[in-house]
Amino acid sequence: MVRQDKLRHLPDRFPLACQWELTCRCNLHCVMCYTDCFNRPERIREELGTEEIFRIMDELADAGTLELCLTGGEPLARQDFFTLYDHAVRLGFLVTVFTNGTLIREDEADHFVKLPPQRIEISLHASTPEGFDRVTQCQGSYRRCLDAIELLRARRIPLVLKTTALTLNRHDILTIKSRVDRFEGTRFQLGEDLRPELDGGDGPFRYALSRDELDALHAEDPALQREACARSRPDTSPCRSGLHRFHIDAVGRLQLCSGNRRSSYDLRSGSFREGFFEALPTFACQWKRPQDQELSHPSKTNHGTVSHV
Amino acid sequence: MLFSAPMGPESVYAKNPDFIQRNVAGECILVPIHRRLPDRNSIYVLNETGAEVWNRLDGRVPLRAVIDDVHGLYDVAREQLHRDVVTLMTDLLSIQAIEEVSVAHGPTG
Repeated sequence: MVRQDKLRHLPDRFPLACQWELTCRCNLHCVMCYTDCFNRPERIREELGTEEIFRIMDELADAGTLELCLTGGEPLARQDFFTLYDHAVRLGFLVTVFTNGTLIREDEADHFVKLPPQRIEISLHASTPEGFDRVTQCQGSYRRCLDAIELLRARRIPLVLKTTALTLNRHDILTIKSRVDRFEGTRFQLGEDLRPELDGGDGPFRYALSRDELDALHAEDPALQREACARSRPDTSPCRSGLHRFHIDAVGRLQLCSGNRRSSYDLRSGSFREGFFEALPTFACQWKRPQDQELSHPSKTNHGTVSHV
Repeated sequence: MLFSAPMGPESVYAKNPDFIQRNVAGECILVPIHRRLPDRNSIYVLNETGAEVWNRLDGRVPLRAVIDDVHGLYDVAREQLHRDVVTLMTDLLSIQAIEEVSVAHGPTG
């Protein structure tokens, strides 16, 4: 018997890891969010129901999927979130939850203790209430987010705290990072990639930092500089999206990754195995240039980049 | 000595339901899902023989019968298989993936 963190031997194509956008519903309206344009009642009514998600989860487990990232929107904004979450954990998925944290109170934190996730990743946009609420466009979100972080830390749930670099929080990023660095066992992650909205809008890019601003930010912190240097190395390996990773959106469409939704397979009417093994290989990845392997949105290169899952 | 006390040939073991068995790319994976387990952030990969043993731990069959059954599947010396199984069972006990089941002995009414 071998104890491992990850599986080492897999076929070239195997559905190991799924990122599942359970909903576009969210109680916040972050300025850079790419799903908030679908945070509308008429869109939400089209989203997968509990039983449909159960059925698809069962198919993923049967096909061998091991890692499952539940994201949104805000996944906890679904009334049935913990019903879905419990089902996923009991199927033996290694579950990660991407959340804004603001819906996590004592009861929710205690639930995560009973059936723990692999980790929870929370977006922490600023170090002050004013700055945080400016990003989320919701008053009181800072306090609720910090409370959730404290509740989860007290329960020793593995946490990653993430900040997206924006014009609104550029001055605050190192303060946020230094606070997170003082939290034992909690990792900080800086996101620098903005995406166009799901309806094609370019709203998020109004808050993008320029290349020079990002370079200046990296230069102020050794860890950020190291990460930036690592990212700047040419990536000659093939994109793994569609090989070991895939994405499911809120209405049950199977896609190569969350950044490429041009082609989809409808899991509402077809099986996961057929979608992954027969449909997915036919989907094009037009954001990956064969020459330099840079992952960038063709029409947005002056504003920001789009990364694959 | 083939079995180390208290792991005797008549010992019976049951799986802990807080471990989920997954078949991933042809490998038998054990995923711990409960907080109280000692190392919840690891997965455990069983080799082929280990998976055969694991699949036979049903809380009723004694370890001797499990080994006899698995021995019939492979061209392996019985002593070697015993040693491997004892190592596996010790590992499974250490992570609480299995527990010994009390079995009544003697005449039953």
